[in-house]
Amino acid sequence: MLWHKRLLAAGVTGVLILTATACGGGQVRGAGGTPAPGTSGGTQPAATAQANDSTFVYVPNLDVVTDWDPAISYSNEIIALQNIYEGLTRYNSQTKEAEPLLATEWTSADDGKEWTFKLRQGVKFHSGATLDAEAAKKAIERTIEKKGGAAYIWDSVDKIEAVDASTLKFTLKYPTPLDLVASSGYAAYIYDVNAVDPEGRTTAGTGPYTIDSWQKGKETELTLKAFDGYWGGWRPDQYKKVAFRVTPEITTAYQLLQRGEVNYVQRLNPQLFEQAGTTENVRTEQTPSFQNLLVLFNTATGPLRDVRIRQALQAAIDYDGLAAALKGSGQKASGLVPQGLLGHVTGMEPKQDLAKAQSLLAEAGYGPDNPELKLSLTYAQGDDDQKLLVTLLSSALQKLNVILQAKPMTWAAQWDQGKARGQDVFIMYWYPDYPDAYSWFLNVFKSEDKPQFNLSYLKNAGIDSVIDSLPELTATDQVKAGQAYQDLQQKIITEQAAVAVPYVQTYQRALSSDVEGYVDNPAYPNVVFFHDLKRVS
Amino acid sequence: MLRYLARRLGQALLVVAGVVVLTFAVMRLVPGDPAVAFAGPKATPEQLAEVRRRFGLDDSLPVQLLNHVRDLISGDWGISLHTRQPVRDDLYQAFPASLELVGAALLIAVVVGIPVGVLAARHQRRLPDLGVRFGSMLAVSVPVFWLALVLQLVFASRLGWFPIAGEYDSSLDTTSPLTLWTNITIVDALITGNWPIFTSTLQHLVLPALVVAAYPTGVIAQMTRAALIEESGQDHTKLERALGFGETSILTKFALRPALNPVLSLIALVFAYSIVNGFLVEAVFNWPGLGRYAADSIRSLDTPAIAGVTLLVALVYVLANLVVDIVQAFVDPRTRAR
Repeated sequence: MLWHKRLLAAGVTGVLILTATACGGGQVRGAGGTPAPGTSGGTQPAATAQANDSTFVYVPNLDVVTDWDPAISYSNEIIALQNIYEGLTRYNSQTKEAEPLLATEWTSADDGKEWTFKLRQGVKFHSGATLDAEAAKKAIERTIEKKGGAAYIWDSVDKIEAVDASTLKFTLKYPTPLDLVASSGYAAYIYDVNAVDPEGRTTAGTGPYTIDSWQKGKETELTLKAFDGYWGGWRPDQYKKVAFRVTPEITTAYQLLQRGEVNYVQRLNPQLFEQAGTTENVRTEQTPSFQNLLVLFNTATGPLRDVRIRQALQAAIDYDGLAAALKGSGQKASGLVPQGLLGHVTGMEPKQDLAKAQSLLAEAGYGPDNPELKLSLTYAQGDDDQKLLVTLLSSALQKLNVILQAKPMTWAAQWDQGKARGQDVFIMYWYPDYPDAYSWFLNVFKSEDKPQFNLSYLKNAGIDSVIDSLPELTATDQVKAGQAYQDLQQKIITEQAAVAVPYVQTYQRALSSDVEGYVDNPAYPNVVFFHDLKRVS
Repeated sequence: MLRYLARRLGQALLVVAGVVVLTFAVMRLVPGDPAVAFAGPKATPEQLAEVRRRFGLDDSLPVQLLNHVRDLISGDWGISLHTRQPVRDDLYQAFPASLELVGAALLIAVVVGIPVGVLAARHQRRLPDLGVRFGSMLAVSVPVFWLALVLQLVFASRLGWFPIAGEYDSSLDTTSPLTLWTNITIVDALITGNWPIFTSTLQHLVLPALVVAAYPTGVIAQMTRAALIEESGQDHTKLERALGFGETSILTKFALRPALNPVLSLIALVFAYSIVNGFLVEAVFNWPGLGRYAADSIRSLDTPAIAGVTLLVALVYVLANLVVDIVQAFVDPRTRAR
C-alpha cells in the first residue's frame, strides 16, 4: 500500500520539477557573461553592508535593467547607466546650467546653430580605447541612427565634425541649446561604438563603474565595480562596488535600511518617510522633481470650449488641501516649469476660490441655480495621488452643480481616447527628457492637427510663435528666454486656462547616515552618482 | 487503463486549450493599444508602427490567435513588456524559486498537519482536539500578508533571528558560487554540497515558508482528523479494538493508511493553490518567485507576462490534478471503471 503513496508524492514533485525545467529549456540564470547551461550561476559580489564595507547598496523598487544599449536605453536602467556612461555635459539644477563632464568647455555661434565642444584629455573607455572627437562623433551618430528611446533630442543636428582629436563641432538645422541636450539623462551617452554589448556582458562607457554581474529576476539584480582607469581617479573612502537590490515592497525596503543592510532607498511612502526621519543611522532627503501633474482642459470640443468654465475649474481645485494630503510626496506648483529649470516663475501658485468659480459658472449659464453640467475626466489607473485630486475636485464641483464623471484608465487606453478628443479633462504627468522647459511647450501646448500630447487641443498661433522662438533664445539670451517662458505661462494658464498645474512631485529618499556627498539631481531621476559619495566611519 | 489515461489526458488538454484562448481574449479585450504599452508613454507614431509590425498586431484576431498558439507550442511565450526578456526565460527564473518556497511550506504542512490531525482524532472532543480545531481554523483564516508582515517585523526586524528578505545572502555568490542543475537554489546547493548557500537559503526560507504553510497545515490537520474519525467507525477498527490494540496504535497503524488517501489528493490541490497564495508572501519577503514577477507584470500592464503566469499556474493545477487522478487509478481500480 505504502509504495502507492510514495509514487504519488514522487510523481507530483517529479512532474512539477520537469515542468520547471522544461519551460526553461536549459536557459541560464542571469547574464553578465555567465557561460553555458548547468555551470556556475555567475559571480556576484557582496550585497550587504556587513559583508563588504565598500559596497553601496541601492534599493530600487522595480527591475533595474531593460536595455543595455546606451543608444536606446530609456527606462529604469538610468540609475546604473549614468554611472557607467557619461555625456559631454552634466546639468546642475542649482545653477540651472550645464557643466563640464567629458567636454571641458564649449562655445556656440551663429545664433545657437553652431556648437564647438573641447573634449577632456586622457579619458579612456572601459574597452581600453581612447576618447577622442572621432569616437564621440561616432557614438552620437549611432544613437541618432538607432532612432530608439530619446534619440530625437538630437533632431536639430545636421552635421557632426571631428575638427581635431579634441574638438567636436556640431552644425544644426535650427537653433538649439545643445549644451543642455548633451546633458540629457537619456540618449546623450558617449560610448565606444565598437564595444557596445546589448546583452550586458561588457560596457563601453567612460564612467567610473562597469558591470560586475547582472542576473535578471534575482533580488540583487545588478552589481557594478570600479573602473580602475577612470579619468576622475579614485580615493580610498569611495564606494568601489555598488549593488542594486530590487525590493518592490516598501515596508521591506525600510526594514532593510533600518537594519543597516542597505544604504539607499529610492522611494518610501509618506508615513515611512516620516518615520525614517526620526530613525537612528538613517537620513532623509526631500527634493522637488522635474515632473508635474497637468490637468488639461479640452479647449476644442464640449462645454469646456468656454474659457470661463475652464477658469471656473481652475478655481475649484483645492490646491492647498491636496498638497497637505500628499504629505510631502508632492508640493504646490508655481506655473508649468518646475523649480531648477530655466523658465520657472515664482508667484504663480494657484489658490482655490469657490466664489470665483461659482460666478464664472453663472456667467456661462451653469452653477447651482442653472442646469446641471456634466464633465468627463480621465486619469491614471492605480495612481493614488491623482485619485486624491479627482476626489477633492469632484466634491468641490458637486456643490457648484457640476457632475464630474471620472474614469481611471490605463495609459494606453487613456491616451487613445485623448488622441480622439474623447474627454473634457485629461490628467497626466509630464517631465522633460533633457533639462529644458521647452519640452512642456513644444509637446503639450503647440498646435497639432492630429493631437499626440497636446491633449488640451490648444490652437493658438501667437503661442506657437513664442514657443518656436524658445530654443534660439535659450541658446543665445537666457534673460530673454526667461521672459518668453513667463509670458507663455501667463497666456496658457491665466488667459487661455488650458491647464491647471496642481503640484510637482517630490522625491523622498532615505539613506544610511554614513553616506556623505549625496545630491539628488532631478535632471537624472532616481540616479545616485556613486563616485561622488564618501563613506564616513 | 490506457483508455482511462487517454481520456484524462484529453480532458486536461481541453482545459489548457481553454485557458490559452481565454488569456488571449482577455489580452486583446484590454482597452488601449498593446503597441503603446510596449513602446512607452512618449512613443512616436513611427515607433508604434514598428512595434505593431514586429508583433503582428496588424493581423486579424483569429490569425493572431493561431500564431499565438503556434508560438506557445514552439516555446515562444512572447516578450515581456517590462523586462524586455522572453517570458519563458523570466518564468524559468521565477518558477523554481516559488517551487522552493511552496515545497518547503508543504513539507512543514505535512510534518505538522498530519500528526496534529491524529492527535485531535485520538482525543476527540477533548482539550487537544479543541485546541487543534481552533488553531487550524486560525491558520486557515488568517490573511497571509498580515501574518507575513507580523512575522517579519517581530522575528526578523526586531529580534533579528532571521533575515528580513531575500532568498540567500547574495555575497555568497563570490565566495562560493552555486552550480545550477534544477534552478531550485536549495536543491542545487544540496546536490553540489554548497553548504554556505544551503544554510543561508534555509535561514531565509523559515519565515516565508511558515507563512505559506499556515493554510495547508490547517486544512491537512482538519482533513486528517475528519478522515480518521470516519475510519475509526469502520468495522475493521472494531475488530482491532476487540483484539486489544490501544487507541493510539489503532489510529496510527490501521486507520491512518486508508485515511491518508483523501489527504494526499488534497495535498496536490493545496500545492497548486499555494503557488498563487504565495504571491503576497513573496512580495513581503522579496522572494524572487512568480509572485513578484506577477505583481510587477500587473503593475506595468505587461499582458504577455500576465498571460504567461496565468498559463503556467493553469498548467500546475492541471498537472497536479492529472497526476493525482492517475495515481489514484493505480491505487483504486474503481476509479478507472467510472
